[in-house]
Amino acid sequence: MNILELKDISKIYGSVKALQNINLQVSQGEWLAIMGPSGSGKSTMINIIGCMDKPSNGSVILDGANISKESAKSLTNVRRDKIGLIFQQFHMINYLTALENVMVAQYYHSMPDEKEALQALERVGLGDRAKHLPSQLSGGEQQRVCIARALINYPKLILADEPTGNLDETNEGIVLDIFKQLHKEGITIIVVTHDPEVAEEAQRTVVLEHGRVARIVPNKE
Amino acid sequence: MAGDPMKKQTMYFRMVTSSLIRRRSRMLVALLAVAIGATVLSGLVTIYYDIPRQMGQEFRSYGANLIFIPSGDGSALSMDAADAAADFIPADDIVGMAPYRYETVKINEQPFMAAGTDMEEVKKTSPYWFVSGEWPENDGSVLVGQEVADYIRLSPGDTFTVTGTDIKDESFSRDFIVSGIVQTGGTEEGFIFLSLSDLEGLMGNEGELDVVECSISASQTVLDDIVKQITENVEGVTPRLVKRVTQSEGTVLTKLQALVYLVTVIVLLLTMICVATTMMAVVAERRKEIGLKKALGAANKSIVMEFLGECLFLGGLGGLLGVVLGFVFAQTISVNVFSRSISFQPLLIPVTLAVSIAITALACLLPVRSATDVDPAIVLRGE
Ligand SMILES: Nc1ncnc2c1ncn2[C@@H]1O[C@H](COP(=O)(O)OP(=O)(O)O)[C@@H](O)[C@H]1O
Ligand SMILES: [Mg+2]
Repeated sequence: MNILELKDISKIYGSVKALQNINLQVSQGEWLAIMGPSGSGKSTMINIIGCMDKPSNGSVILDGANISKESAKSLTNVRRDKIGLIFQQFHMINYLTALENVMVAQYYHSMPDEKEALQALERVGLGDRAKHLPSQLSGGEQQRVCIARALINYPKLILADEPTGNLDETNEGIVLDIFKQLHKEGITIIVVTHDPEVAEEAQRTVVLEHGRVARIVPNKE
Repeated sequence: MAGDPMKKQTMYFRMVTSSLIRRRSRMLVALLAVAIGATVLSGLVTIYYDIPRQMGQEFRSYGANLIFIPSGDGSALSMDAADAAADFIPADDIVGMAPYRYETVKINEQPFMAAGTDMEEVKKTSPYWFVSGEWPENDGSVLVGQEVADYIRLSPGDTFTVTGTDIKDESFSRDFIVSGIVQTGGTEEGFIFLSLSDLEGLMGNEGELDVVECSISASQTVLDDIVKQITENVEGVTPRLVKRVTQSEGTVLTKLQALVYLVTVIVLLLTMICVATTMMAVVAERRKEIGLKKALGAANKSIVMEFLGECLFLGGLGGLLGVVLGFVFAQTISVNVFSRSISFQPLLIPVTLAVSIAITALACLLPVRSATDVDPAIVLRGE
């Protein structure tokens, strides 16, 4: 069963065609990598799948529902309920502790639960950093908090835009291990990356060029 | 599921307070603005309501509120009759009692009105007189009304000659020194004030008065009773209650209150502008955070609630500070300017708090609305 289906998606910014006639199907539990040169439309695609932007043309079927015509308000609801987002810049709320940053996601979703948030932090190896502010955490630790936050509401789909782009090798390894674990648990992962090592871990790699799908490469198992 | 879910309000409270406490340098500016606004508000409102009451007491206890004039026509008021009338006023209630005798005299062949009186008593019955120079200390020195001084070009220290005819139709001439120039805003400015004994010396007789002004600190009923007693018991004196000072008190206070009111409104407007500007900057520098919250699934309503929560917190805290500082401010002014202490009005706490919160909320409205326009997609774009 497909959790995501993009049908003939285009996105046009003024005269810039960021995406053109994209067709893609992602099945439940799949780990997909998206690669491509800078400006090829990777982030635009993540934005559309992540319900933060609407396509100019075409339709997006997410978890069986067509979301391409939804209002901004119901897109917010879909995003909150089904998607976990991880960004290249580790966006944390700078006046909240690591634990509170995770709890914010619970708060917007349903109910904040301190114990559960702490467990999520322990899972990414940061149980002892719960009370630290973002300024007291390294980049790798911040990114792990962001991952814990993305996972806290049990999303069906994890979207990560260059999650290891700003990390050193050690931290990249830690993050990749977490992704592998998530994949084993059956969570669908779409990760944008420049790094072939990261892409290799995925089951398929979609290569974008000039807003089009140049090729889809199945990886060896 | 692990653990007990925390109440949503608890988390909301935590987010709002953390934002304020951990980003204090920015919020301090807004807090200061609110606190200063609230201080001026509560301080001025205290003065607005308290000082007029105090000043009213002051006016009433010093201004002339009863005068004696001669009964019948043409006749003068004898000093003896005035003394007899004064016996009916409780000595403790008399603030001042100034006798006046008026005669026409000439300076440079121009006629002027001369008033013979007791300067020490005038100070008490007419505390609102403004004298440039000195009050006369001894015989031979006089107070000159502003109009007279302008007309014959006199300033303190000058000597001038008074001529005229006495009761026996013999002419007199005597030099006086100008001790001070008096401004009252009334007809007194056309007069020359000298000591009663000097005027009696010029005219050649004594014991005759035209009017006695009394300042009595007593209630209306006591005053009415005094008037009745004197009318019934003293021959040749007509006592009359006057309102002149109370009226001038009224206009002064109305003007003072209008001024205080105006200043309060201006300060509140300035506070609002300052808070609005700060919040505008706060929203602008937190666009990324707002985008992130939206990306995490925050509805516009949640974003608005969080900023509004911060605003209300600022308003409340600033208002509370303002109540305390405002009282200190009002007390300082009251003690220094009016030499009186004021009592604390408990009603000011809710009023100042409510106004501070309302003003802050109003100031935050625009910036917070603009916060909801932030596109969550900005968090994926690079810096
Ligand atoms: N909000 C926007 N307004 C205008 N142009 C945009 C906007 N977002 C992206 N673009 C353009 O769309 C193209 C694809 O951008 P993006 O998806 O960010 O590429 P990538 O993530 O692959 O580097 C680029 O040419 C970029 O300049
Ligand atoms: Mg990108």
